[in-house]
Amino acid sequence: MYTEEFLINMGPQHPSTHGVLSLELKLDGEMIRDCAIHIGYLHRSMEKIAENRTYTQFIPFTDRLDYMASMNNNLAYVMAVEKLMRMDVPARAKYIRVIVAELNRIASHLLAIGTFAQDLGAFGTPLLYCLREREKIMDIFNEICGNRLTYNYIRIGGVQYDLPEGIDLKIGEFIKYMRPKVDDYDQLLTYNTIFLARSKHIGTISKEMAISYSLTGPNLRGSGVKWDLRKDEPYLVYDKFDFDIPVGANGDAWDRYKVRVEEMRQSLRIIEQAIGGLPEGEALSKAGRIHKPAPGEAYFRAENPRGELGFYLVSDGSAYPYRLKIRSPSFSNLAILPELVRGLKVADIICVLGSLDIVMGEIDR
Amino acid sequence: MTKLLKDMTVGAFSLLKGLAVTMKYCLRHSVTMQYPTQKMPMAERYRGLVDLIPEKCITCYQCVKTCPTACLAITHKEVDKKKTLDTFKYNMELCCFCGLCAQVCPTSAIIMNKIYEISVYDRKKFDIDLLNREKYAQWANPTVK
Amino acid sequence: MVTILTFIFMLAMGALILGFIAVSAMFLIWWERKVSAHIQSRLGPMRVGWHGALQSVADVLKLLLKEDIRPAEVDILVWWLAPFFAVVPSVMAFVVIPFGGNLIIKDLNVGILYIASISSVCVIGIFMAGWGSNNKYSLLGGMRSAAQMISYELPLILSLIMVAMRAGSLSMQRIVESQAGCWNILHPDMAVACIIYLIAATAEVNRAPFDIPEAESELVAGFHTEYSGMKFAMFFLGEYTNLFIVAAIAATLFFGGWHGPFLPPVVWFLIKTYGLIFVWMWVRWTFPRVRVDQLMEFAWKILTPAALVNLAIVGWILLK
Repeated sequence: MYTEEFLINMGPQHPSTHGVLSLELKLDGEMIRDCAIHIGYLHRSMEKIAENRTYTQFIPFTDRLDYMASMNNNLAYVMAVEKLMRMDVPARAKYIRVIVAELNRIASHLLAIGTFAQDLGAFGTPLLYCLREREKIMDIFNEICGNRLTYNYIRIGGVQYDLPEGIDLKIGEFIKYMRPKVDDYDQLLTYNTIFLARSKHIGTISKEMAISYSLTGPNLRGSGVKWDLRKDEPYLVYDKFDFDIPVGANGDAWDRYKVRVEEMRQSLRIIEQAIGGLPEGEALSKAGRIHKPAPGEAYFRAENPRGELGFYLVSDGSAYPYRLKIRSPSFSNLAILPELVRGLKVADIICVLGSLDIVMGEIDR
Repeated sequence: MTKLLKDMTVGAFSLLKGLAVTMKYCLRHSVTMQYPTQKMPMAERYRGLVDLIPEKCITCYQCVKTCPTACLAITHKEVDKKKTLDTFKYNMELCCFCGLCAQVCPTSAIIMNKIYEISVYDRKKFDIDLLNREKYAQWANPTVK
Repeated sequence: MVTILTFIFMLAMGALILGFIAVSAMFLIWWERKVSAHIQSRLGPMRVGWHGALQSVADVLKLLLKEDIRPAEVDILVWWLAPFFAVVPSVMAFVVIPFGGNLIIKDLNVGILYIASISSVCVIGIFMAGWGSNNKYSLLGGMRSAAQMISYELPLILSLIMVAMRAGSLSMQRIVESQAGCWNILHPDMAVACIIYLIAATAEVNRAPFDIPEAESELVAGFHTEYSGMKFAMFFLGEYTNLFIVAAIAATLFFGGWHGPFLPPVVWFLIKTYGLIFVWMWVRWTFPRVRVDQLMEFAWKILTPAALVNLAIVGWILLK
């Protein structure tokens, strides 16, 4: 029987909302033969904007890169600037930074899990449970810094304000509330036989392939590589805390999902230890308003919920950076998609895309 | 054969456990609020619109310089060698609610208020002068067009 | 004289059934939204009427007022008739549903056979919708859905046969009366038959976790894309009517029909039916969707052999 391949455009808007991503699929019946990725629909030329803004003025822009994990983006950029200026940060500010970064990691993973379940067809319930938990985190952030999604909280030399009164009680309550909820997700989704049938052995990435495509974050750890910047190149005060790095066994979509659930549990442990050991002191070192670092360059990378976010700064001595380059994790993670989907069915490409957990704001910048 | 049966029973039990979780939440209270009859109170540090206390302003222009999106514009006039504020233009469309202007102001003349319901029917309404208090007051009552 | 009386009787019963279906469908739409909302820790429709009770009325009015768009290149007769083929068989199945002690329109002595054969016509409706729309995604969706419904008819009918064997008759009233002392589900072989029936019925009415034709908006748009306004409303109505029918059949065959203490039989029947519908909604809002090839594998490799084995067991128990 004569069949021919046909091209389908999974256009910039589609229901499995990971942002505006366009996939051109070459289908042969139900099987995918090839896939071409088209990005750039959300390009806002952030790296060029950075050349005309001072170092502090650019912090609100970093919020909008990976809008699910704003605190982590702020953190990576500010630490790159501090590395360039060889500036030190008070101890209390370091602990506060760890607390907000880990809270944001939990929020980001909640959304990743919720949208993954939604893409597989669990039409609303896991996503709405995750959003309910995210509301609590956003309420905490509302009290700390005044905003719910784009925080602009971390400053060069510390954080914007000290934590308000009573917030450690609220965070303690949140930890007690969240732990049984993570067990709920395990019971509802993780070992559900339909979920297992849809995501096991789909989109398997071997260790060598993961390293050669420079995947980072839960995608890398799902394939069995035990690499986490918080343990292998510790920054801030991560070396003082006791936590594990979850690693997957096979590298399929289910493993990546499981790694994210386990990372949420480990983040809760870190926050508990950080709240318990918060030192006294000031939250922002008095280093002046205009930062003029000496000419030079610096590269700093941090462990974002999606992978390794790196900022490369070149300074020529003025208040504006000469060049800023952002190494975004989702950009490198997305590159593996055509390799994975050859031979899969159409319903599986959604599963693979959801398990890679990309955000278009980071990819297009 | 026995492995198939064992897989099926384990699978069926996992489905039943998932159903138990959903039923647990079905019987609990909902967590949502009926907006707009019930509104959530915003936190103390919430960053809504930019607001001005005109008496405290010393026209140092720090807020204009530090805004990342250049949404503030000030003019001043000299009266007996003392600078006073003439107009204080604020373009709400460009504002990204980052709070840098409030942080950098030396006299805390700029504050962020708690207004977040800021939709309009006409784009020109976004350009306001913060010194014109009665026009600014319309934002506190969002049903006014 | 007799023929005019039967004719008037037919018209009256027809009107009664259509009225019941309309009210029931509107209630079910509201009920689905409320159940899904409470499972998801939210409230659902609250503004139109008490706790949103009139929301369905508002939705139906909206659908009635919508423009009826006809794409230019459709196969007009096939496209126009498809909604009727999807809805009319479900309505026809109401003739043999026993609502109460004597509340049945016509107790055909081939009741179950009649239901099984009538519900197969629904597949033709979906197929016609997929073909007539002149849209390659609708065609794919329609064919997939037809394959799903045909595959799951086999376990469905096998479980119906098991009940008929135990009751000794195909007539619905006889089956209910044979459960007078003890409901069918309390026997273990009948319990297995009930589970098989429930799973097969979920696939027959295209509900989660087997709702591929409905929600495959990942790529394929589904067989009812090119329909708008009242035609779409008919598909929608057909879906909820189908849901009611399969729940009513399950209540009749396995849960004792209208038997029950104290309350009048009609009330018991409706309680059992709507209780089963609640279980269906509960399942829909919990589980993810099954993939197409896994669906077919499940039907042919697991469910049909299980149904055949159970049929043998039921026969052996009856012969003992």
